[in-house]
Amino acid sequence: MNMSNPAIIDIYDLKKTFKNATEPAVNGISFSINRNEIFGLLGPNGAGKTTTISILCGLFPPGSGKVLIDGKDLHTELHSIKHIIGIVPQDIALYPTLSARENLAFYGSMYGLHGKQLQDNIERWLHKLGLTEAANRKVSTYSGGMKRRVNLIAGVLHSPKILFLDEPTVGVDVQSRNVIIEHLKELNAGGTTIIYTSHHMEEAENFCTRVCIIDHGKILTQGTPAELISQNAGSTNLEHVFLNLTNRKLRD
Amino acid sequence: MLHKLLATVKKEILLLLRDKVGLSVLFIMPVALILVMTLIQDSAFKSINEKGIPVVFVDEDQDSLGLQIKQGLLSNDLVYLSDSIDSKPASSQSAKKAVSEGRFLVGIVIPKGATAAIRKNVSVLVNETMNGTPPAAETADSVQITILIDPIAKQSFLNAVTSNLREFISEVKTKIMFQTFSQQVAELIPDKQNAPRNPYQRSQIIHYNEVYASTATGKIVPNAVQHNVPAWTIFAMFFIAIPLSNSILKEKTEGSVFRLHTMPTPYLLLIMGKIVVYVLVCLLQFMLMLAVGKFLLPQLGLPALVLGNSMAGIFVLTTATALAATGFGVTVGTLATTDHQAAIMGSLSILLLSALGGIWVPSYVMPEVMRNISAFSPLNWSLEGFYKLFLRGGTVTDILPDAIKLLVFFFAMMGISYLANRKKRKV
Repeated sequence: MNMSNPAIIDIYDLKKTFKNATEPAVNGISFSINRNEIFGLLGPNGAGKTTTISILCGLFPPGSGKVLIDGKDLHTELHSIKHIIGIVPQDIALYPTLSARENLAFYGSMYGLHGKQLQDNIERWLHKLGLTEAANRKVSTYSGGMKRRVNLIAGVLHSPKILFLDEPTVGVDVQSRNVIIEHLKELNAGGTTIIYTSHHMEEAENFCTRVCIIDHGKILTQGTPAELISQNAGSTNLEHVFLNLTNRKLRD
Repeated sequence: MLHKLLATVKKEILLLLRDKVGLSVLFIMPVALILVMTLIQDSAFKSINEKGIPVVFVDEDQDSLGLQIKQGLLSNDLVYLSDSIDSKPASSQSAKKAVSEGRFLVGIVIPKGATAAIRKNVSVLVNETMNGTPPAAETADSVQITILIDPIAKQSFLNAVTSNLREFISEVKTKIMFQTFSQQVAELIPDKQNAPRNPYQRSQIIHYNEVYASTATGKIVPNAVQHNVPAWTIFAMFFIAIPLSNSILKEKTEGSVFRLHTMPTPYLLLIMGKIVVYVLVCLLQFMLMLAVGKFLLPQLGLPALVLGNSMAGIFVLTTATALAATGFGVTVGTLATTDHQAAIMGSLSILLLSALGGIWVPSYVMPEVMRNISAFSPLNWSLEGFYKLFLRGGTVTDILPDAIKLLVFFFAMMGISYLANRKKRKV
């Protein structure tokens, strides 16, 4: 780990074209994410956000380009990178017939936790997110908000250095959203770098320290929300900036 | 790594225990299958044995041949003989009609003058022999016994029955010929009156002793239980492919695989966890089926399953079968893209492999082409192995080639799954 380098993720000319696709999903993007940032990767549907995050998590290899995570090459040191990252996918990735405790015990074990450490982490997070009482119930009996919260815990149980959040608050009520955002900020304050995607511009504006707007696999702009708003004449919030840059045409 | 494997095993056990339908498929269905199939086959066998094959007998001869065949058939447990139809004496016409309607499986018509014809033929033969005249074939009368057969009866079964009947009728005919011959000789040579009166019995110098060529110590008797329990247990073990492939696909559709691929745990270890659990399930299935064969079937009036001489052989072969079955399930789960697809792909391929493997119909009655194809079914390897243990009294050495083939199949399935999974991730 190189502490003199403020960036925890460096992406150089990243490209990815899926089989049978006519256009690249990611078309030569380069950017860096600094340690302890809450970095928003924003864009309309099909912009290339999920593809970028999937590559960074090691789900599939890039077509070309280079990615360094915490100074390690994604191509050659994927296994050790996987120890320091956590992911909260957009879709609920839990076993519905298992309880929250059973789900978390399994996922925590897959990150290498076991014994007392695993149990303590599970109980601490269940308590934090108000799930202790329901922890032994099957996840299939949970509300959407409760499932989101368990989904979040499964990604942070091992205290990752970098956390990828793919629309973590989609489809949840205001109460659950506030609890989730609050605890994500707490995680960030504890040193976790957060990479976040969302269609919720107001949430992104308040939550992110820096954002990058991409479309058609290319970066349109990046900076702090305040910088982007001031740079785009007539824009009073991030949603205006987003619509000005990506235009108002409907996307698939 | 051990903690991870144990956590995966625990997760699989919990998932399995909470899937009530899957569990019933794994345990209740095979028990039901063994009970139903064994009872059907045993009762079919018993109904023939206890009541006998329904045979209508028409004696137009009313002499020695007709009477002796009738007496012989009446004393045979295999045959349920009737000489009347609807309380009227059977005629060749009414017998033909009754057999064609399925009221009797077989009909036997002894024509009028059959005994007289035999006697006449013997007389002609004796006279020719004594007088030294050449044989005159045209003077010999032929005896034509008609065997009527129900057209819907199974050919292989009928062949066995009619062949037995032909053999018996021929025996009676020979007996009459000998008796007639003996009488004729006694009349022509009076000083030979004290010659043995029953030369037929003395002519029976060949006797048949049918013994099962098993190396077991005489305790294994081939029956519906010895055949059915291993066959349907193997079938059930391979049916594990359906819940196993479903479990793999559920992880894909419910998003768990997405998360698992981002974790520092090799996918192979996750699959290993599944294999460990499902192999254990297969072994439990097998033990349950053995218990059914040994303890439950005798309560239903069926013979108890005899396990043969080699427990080590049973363990090796069962484990190899369990691995082959789980390997197959992993491949189905990897190749299929939806659970619906996996269910169809899994069940159809198992039905096909079991049919080819001799589970439904023994491979030795198959045409040569199918028999050759059958040799490539893992269910056939397993079944052959269990027959060696349960019917031929084989040992672990005897089943080793079958077990090795099953293990090679397991590794081949794992290889295919690995390559298919790798290809799928190369998007």
